[in-house]
Amino acid sequence: MARGETNLDAVKPAESLQTPATAPGQARSQSSLHQLGNRQVVGRCSATDRNPSTSEKFQFWLAPDVIANPFDIVEVEQVHPEAGKSSVTYGLITSIDHITDAPSHLSNFISNNFGEVEEVPNTPRMGTSIAHVNVLSNSDEIYMPVPNERPVRFATEEGIQKALGMDALIKDQPNRAIPAGIIKLTSGQSAVAYLDRHYVLGPESAHVNISGISGLATKTSYAMFLIQSILHKAPDPDEIAVVILNVKADDLLYLDQPRTPLKNKEKEAAFQETWEAVGLKPVHFDPKKTHFFLPKGPGQEPNAHVKAGEIPKAMIYAYDLPHTADKLELLFATVPDTYSTLESIIGEVQKGLGDTKGKFKNVSSFDQLLTGEPLVKDGTAQPLGEIKVSSVGVFLRHMRRLIVTRSSGLFVRGALSIRQKVLSEELRKIKGGHTYVVDIAKLHDEEQTLVFGDIIRTLYKVKAEGSEDEQGNLLEGPEKILVFVDELNKYAPSGRQSSPIIDQVLEIAERGRSLGVILISAQQFMSAVHSRVTGNSATKVLGRAGSAEISTSDYRFLPDELKSSLTRLAKGELLLSHAIYRQPIKIAFPLPAYKQPGVK
Amino acid sequence: MFELRKLPSILRVLHDNLKILPATGGAVEDLQRPDVDEIEDGLANKELTEISAFAEDPDPTGQPLYISTPPIHRIRDHLFRFFIDGSLRTYYIATAIERDRTFPVELAQIGSACIHRLQDGRLTAMSHSNRVLLLVPKGGEGMSEDVFDELTKLNTPDESFQVINTLAKTMHTSATEIDLRTRAGGIARNRMHRLEVNIINSTDGVRGEDSWVILDGAVKLDDFIQVDHLIGVAKSFDKKPQFHIPGSKTRNVDVTGLIAGLPYAHRTRAFQAHGGKVAFWYVRLWEQVHLDYPLMGVLKIELPCPTAQPAPVDLINRLSSALVAERSVTPYGQDKRWHCHLYPIYCAELTIKSRFYAHDVLLGAIRWPRPALATT
Repeated sequence: MARGETNLDAVKPAESLQTPATAPGQARSQSSLHQLGNRQVVGRCSATDRNPSTSEKFQFWLAPDVIANPFDIVEVEQVHPEAGKSSVTYGLITSIDHITDAPSHLSNFISNNFGEVEEVPNTPRMGTSIAHVNVLSNSDEIYMPVPNERPVRFATEEGIQKALGMDALIKDQPNRAIPAGIIKLTSGQSAVAYLDRHYVLGPESAHVNISGISGLATKTSYAMFLIQSILHKAPDPDEIAVVILNVKADDLLYLDQPRTPLKNKEKEAAFQETWEAVGLKPVHFDPKKTHFFLPKGPGQEPNAHVKAGEIPKAMIYAYDLPHTADKLELLFATVPDTYSTLESIIGEVQKGLGDTKGKFKNVSSFDQLLTGEPLVKDGTAQPLGEIKVSSVGVFLRHMRRLIVTRSSGLFVRGALSIRQKVLSEELRKIKGGHTYVVDIAKLHDEEQTLVFGDIIRTLYKVKAEGSEDEQGNLLEGPEKILVFVDELNKYAPSGRQSSPIIDQVLEIAERGRSLGVILISAQQFMSAVHSRVTGNSATKVLGRAGSAEISTSDYRFLPDELKSSLTRLAKGELLLSHAIYRQPIKIAFPLPAYKQPGVK
Repeated sequence: MFELRKLPSILRVLHDNLKILPATGGAVEDLQRPDVDEIEDGLANKELTEISAFAEDPDPTGQPLYISTPPIHRIRDHLFRFFIDGSLRTYYIATAIERDRTFPVELAQIGSACIHRLQDGRLTAMSHSNRVLLLVPKGGEGMSEDVFDELTKLNTPDESFQVINTLAKTMHTSATEIDLRTRAGGIARNRMHRLEVNIINSTDGVRGEDSWVILDGAVKLDDFIQVDHLIGVAKSFDKKPQFHIPGSKTRNVDVTGLIAGLPYAHRTRAFQAHGGKVAFWYVRLWEQVHLDYPLMGVLKIELPCPTAQPAPVDLINRLSSALVAERSVTPYGQDKRWHCHLYPIYCAELTIKSRFYAHDVLLGAIRWPRPALATT
């Protein structure tokens, strides 16, 4: 065909005189929705020269009276290689525009008699709402652009699962489907959002990171829900152990106690329904399998937001020199050490303490280390090998600050009593099906780093090298260990290249999957955490965030239209990004089923 | 080359000898091509050169010439429910030669639509009609009857395509018009008006006292439109008529002079046309201060009066007030005639034109057969 010629076969013939689209005198129904079969069509795909449909996106206009929202999941008829058949493309609404035929705001201003706010338009401008959709999946793996005019409907429950690629998993391998929350569409349809266990606990990928503004993002509540979901749905719950660090007040010190039912009956009913909707029972952690560790305080009471009597079975943990010596670098993780002098001293001390015949043979306590030889003689710091006195003095000064003057009471300057437990020794006996809660809420930052690092290192060794009991018998540890830590930015901050604790966390983030150590971490700002840690989290959960935060590069995995939605999330609403989802989805989740202090 | 510094002196002569109505926004570039609406109004009312009788009851002789018609919005009185417009595009596609006769071949797309406004203000296309016409002169200096008959065999049963003889006489053409292309344009316009009449007839049964039709243009389309509850609204109109206003002292004023003094949200008195069969008047929709020149923002309204009786003044006032309210919303930025273009009529125009073949598509479809190559 020559250039400029028209393909006559492709040209649709003009319509002749039409019978009225509506019967004269009878206005079209105020609701312009059309019923096609049993399913309502809410709009039609609209592709234009400036806004074409693509393999990744399409647009559709909404019929009048239809209400839709971002994160609604829709389905649209799509092409199929066999004639007479069609496939279904599923998509996620990312934003909705309203357009009219006004070429500029000036047209609207002038239409109102040049700015009269009381003017009433006799004829509302022609306009429509256009929903922008990101493609999630297609029933037949066909990713052709959606053709113009195709009818669009809200997805059904089954359609939602197909959209997320979970339908086959739920049907064929239900043990791998972990309920992660509820998806609710504006149409009223809801469905459970599932995670694939192989992408949470391995082997494909692992780790979960949760971020959001404190108090709004409900990070801790969600983490506990997810852990319970994993344990309840796992075919092998006795192969999974959980270690939880309590960093805030006494939030997680009552996990094994039943909750107080809500006084408001409607809210209580809604609570029960939500748990039922996700297919789980609202039960607390098993008291027989939940263990609490509170840090030693300066006096008789633990250094915690609870008294010892409130949690009778809680164990007190502390650190003496023999059980801290191999972790000293963790204690010094935040102390500036430009020329690695302190690192050298620590190395010398660790080596010396391990030598029963050397200079440190008489050193078995912090007191002896800080006041006696070889580091101190007659009250004066001594050189240590080739390390000068001044440097040793700096080391001693920091040690006194950490162990004596600014200690919260965690350190025992002499020897531990029987009542005071060694955390690493307890965790070496970790059992599958059990939950271990370690309280660090009232510890100083350096102490928190020490405890967290100690836990991570211990668990890593348990999985990498195995562990033994006191008799030397090999202990069969759990197949998976879930570790929940809040305020991860304290231990693996962004912008810092390396420190003993960062290295530890990176080791878990990058290699923990293969060993079965799974990190469930949380922080207020994802940008404040080392990118290799968040980057290795196959599942990200995002709560409300500020506009400054979402503008950082850490959120580049989110489409721009969805990024701004983070600033509007209500309390309890989260965005879930999972390795096998093509787009993040919005979920809600049930309130905790364990006792929460302060909740009435 | 003309020196611009001579312009003030020219303007001085005009000002000193004439009544000048300056363009408010300064000089405005005139239309590149003739105002079709104004020409059509002139053709429809070509006998209307002197107007001397009122067409409203009670007779307003001696009364003020301008009447206040503040806007009455749809939420208070939803008077106009149906809006009808017609549109056409004509294309000269060839000159044909038959024996020693030469004549033009024209193609036209015509259409008409009726827009229905629902109670809540939303618009819906109630009916529409489109045609493609091949316009050729038959007989005389035109096409032979044989060839014309051959062409008419291609007419479609649903009349979506028709072959039309451009030598027929219509309101828009005279038997003495020798420019065949002009005649073709006139014939196409006439056929478009027939579509409009069909559309008007399709509103029988739905028009009523509280459910009026607005027709874009004059109410004389070859013949007078005799239906009730319909008005014609012209955005642009003939400036030739002279008004002799009855009164204790007859006032003579032309259209421009009549409209120049018309305040915002006012109407002029209604005048008789065509022996009383039509009452017409003017309504100003916009304050003059917002517009470029005084004749902008004014509509000419025609009301069919089949019994040739004057129209009740209350009815004329109601129609005018409802029309003033129709200025919102306006197609500002989309049409140069925004100041007098009613939005539902604009939508009717869009409805029609959206069903036309695009210019490039239509012209690309015109592929003349190639002459057969000689075999020897």
